[in-house]
Amino acid sequence: MTQLILFNVFNGLIVGAFYALMALGLSLILNLSGVINFAHGGFLAIGGYIAYVLIPFIGFWGALLVAPFLTAFIGLIVERVLIRRLYGRDPLYSLLLTFGLAYIIEDGTRFIWGAQSMPYQVPDWLMQPLSVEYFFLTGYRVFMVLLVGVAVAGLFLILTRTRLGMRIRAGTLDLETVSVLGVNVRLLRNLNFGLGIYLAGLAGVLAAGMLGLQPVIGTSLIMPSFVTIIVGGLGSLPGTLLGGLLIGVASGVTTVFFPSATEAVIYVMMGLVLLVRPRGLLGEEGRF
Amino acid sequence: MTKEGLSGRLDRRTIIKATAAAGLVQIAAPFVITARAAETVKIGLDNPLTGTYAALGKNELNGCQLAIEQINAKGGILGRQAELLVEDSTSGDAGTTVQKARKLIDRDNVNFLIGNINSALAVAMAAVAYEKGVFLIVPGGHTDAVTGTTCHWNVFRICNPTQTEANAVAGTLIKAYGKKWYYITPDYAFGHTLEAGMIKAAATLGGERIGGDLTPLGTTDFSSYLIKAQATKPDVIIFLVQGDDQVNALKQAVQFGLDKRIHLAGAQGELEPLEGLPPEARIGTWVFEWYWNQPHVPHVAEFVAAIKKKTGRVPTARTWFGFSSTWTCALAANGAKSLDAVKMAKFLQGFKLPPEVALMPDGAFFRAGQNQLIGNLYVGHAQAKGSAPDDLFKVTDVVKGAEISGTLEDTGCKMTWPA
Repeated sequence: MTQLILFNVFNGLIVGAFYALMALGLSLILNLSGVINFAHGGFLAIGGYIAYVLIPFIGFWGALLVAPFLTAFIGLIVERVLIRRLYGRDPLYSLLLTFGLAYIIEDGTRFIWGAQSMPYQVPDWLMQPLSVEYFFLTGYRVFMVLLVGVAVAGLFLILTRTRLGMRIRAGTLDLETVSVLGVNVRLLRNLNFGLGIYLAGLAGVLAAGMLGLQPVIGTSLIMPSFVTIIVGGLGSLPGTLLGGLLIGVASGVTTVFFPSATEAVIYVMMGLVLLVRPRGLLGEEGRF
Repeated sequence: MTKEGLSGRLDRRTIIKATAAAGLVQIAAPFVITARAAETVKIGLDNPLTGTYAALGKNELNGCQLAIEQINAKGGILGRQAELLVEDSTSGDAGTTVQKARKLIDRDNVNFLIGNINSALAVAMAAVAYEKGVFLIVPGGHTDAVTGTTCHWNVFRICNPTQTEANAVAGTLIKAYGKKWYYITPDYAFGHTLEAGMIKAAATLGGERIGGDLTPLGTTDFSSYLIKAQATKPDVIIFLVQGDDQVNALKQAVQFGLDKRIHLAGAQGELEPLEGLPPEARIGTWVFEWYWNQPHVPHVAEFVAAIKKKTGRVPTARTWFGFSSTWTCALAANGAKSLDAVKMAKFLQGFKLPPEVALMPDGAFFRAGQNQLIGNLYVGHAQAKGSAPDDLFKVTDVVKGAEISGTLEDTGCKMTWPA
């Protein structure tokens, strides 16, 4: 039993790292622009499908590099054409827009590639378990966790060491002042949105290796991502990472005792956090 | 253009409300209505076009559409053109399904209703159809109750009850792979009855359930269930999950290398999930309810060619479910010479489908007193590569449904006909 719980804790950390990757992009966009991006799951699906199309030409590794950028590019256009018009309005406007966009993307992918799962090929050597005993540690899963680590480290470096990052952080605190200081806020929001969607695209390329690539691939992952943000703390990127890992582990350990509640447990956790510490585990007081 | 504001701040409450609303993305869905003409005989299809069962639903729709074309080319239903009205029931929201069924009956005045893939939704639709006295065909909802304990005089079913599928495969699995089974079961009506059926079928042959988990519909990550399953050291892991869930579960099981140590199998296999899997994950022993590669069965080749022409792909069992459901409507009305539901239902008691609709070596008939179609079942194993790109299943045994369907009393069906 102890071994089973330990296995599920480790496995939960792997799954949680993935939730965190998706939630980080969501959190970035939410923090700076105040947009609850319901279409984030849709962008994840776009990332997966772009990779699926590219793999026969440039292989998995090439697709892993290129697909997130192409997804981010689509994100930049969407922000420029649609979302930008709604900044400053009631947040419900952008919420409804992205809600509709999620449907359009889901039906669009279904229209182009069909409702059926697509056989998505990742390199064979990644698909092996690393040991017989720890069979749930496959090369792909370890690679995914490493990549999430690199992406998170990269994101933190961008946010703390680059001009763009400093502006994003400053804008998150007080966008009006940042604007008065001469920063091009339009461009800042645009790039920030692109960065968030890049992370969604990356999550999509990775998810399609583990799950079936189907139009609803993002829809099924969007809820854990929202819960991740709320548990971790709105406005806090380290909180998002922590939230993802926590719900991954909680869900994994619940499987041992009460398997049919694995989905419900993350919402119970969200409820408890909201009751005990409404701003989330690492959320800043007064931010939201 | 709207002036771009800088103060798009959100409060926490808005975000929490939004998160709650996010759940709607997964259950709400658009609806589709085909163009309609006057004086047609209307068949209402209330089946999933979005969500987990979207691919299966699309194939059933393809089968229905082909049948409509053929019916109309052969003179229609009682001399009138047949028309298909399509609604998206969603994959799991009973409220939406019932609402759409009522709309089809009350507003569109359909003569026939077809649906649903999801067993729970099929039971919900059957209740509505019974209340309204409308002729319903369930193409692909397998739970036993549909033509068992909750059977109705006006509700017919094409696909097999879960117990029949379990009976078809249990012997093969025990003989070839062992008696200790672990179950990964979807947590709704279909999964519950299929697991119960497998346990019952295995028990009569000395099989044992050494563990199992109920997984929520739409589960993406099966790793924690697989860790548990492996710990019990079973001879066979029985995957009863379907559709996209089956793709996710099998893909992860193969990545974990479980297929090299434990036999993977399931009671109900379908071509759709196999097509979505990478070749190395096309494994395991399954029961198919219909298969396109039956070279010696009359009319199958024509059906395959017609569907290929229409969709570019071979038909699956789902395509055949939709096709035979729609044809059954026409055959019932033309046979009874009436659109009266009671007359049509009485006509179908014991009715044998013509070979060009049955498309099975031993034919198929509706068992009187139960309204269940009984035909052949195909036991075999998934294969990475076959004689053609879509030949992903190797049939090893064609089972006669009549021999494994038990007696009418076993089903628990007690039908009350209107006075």
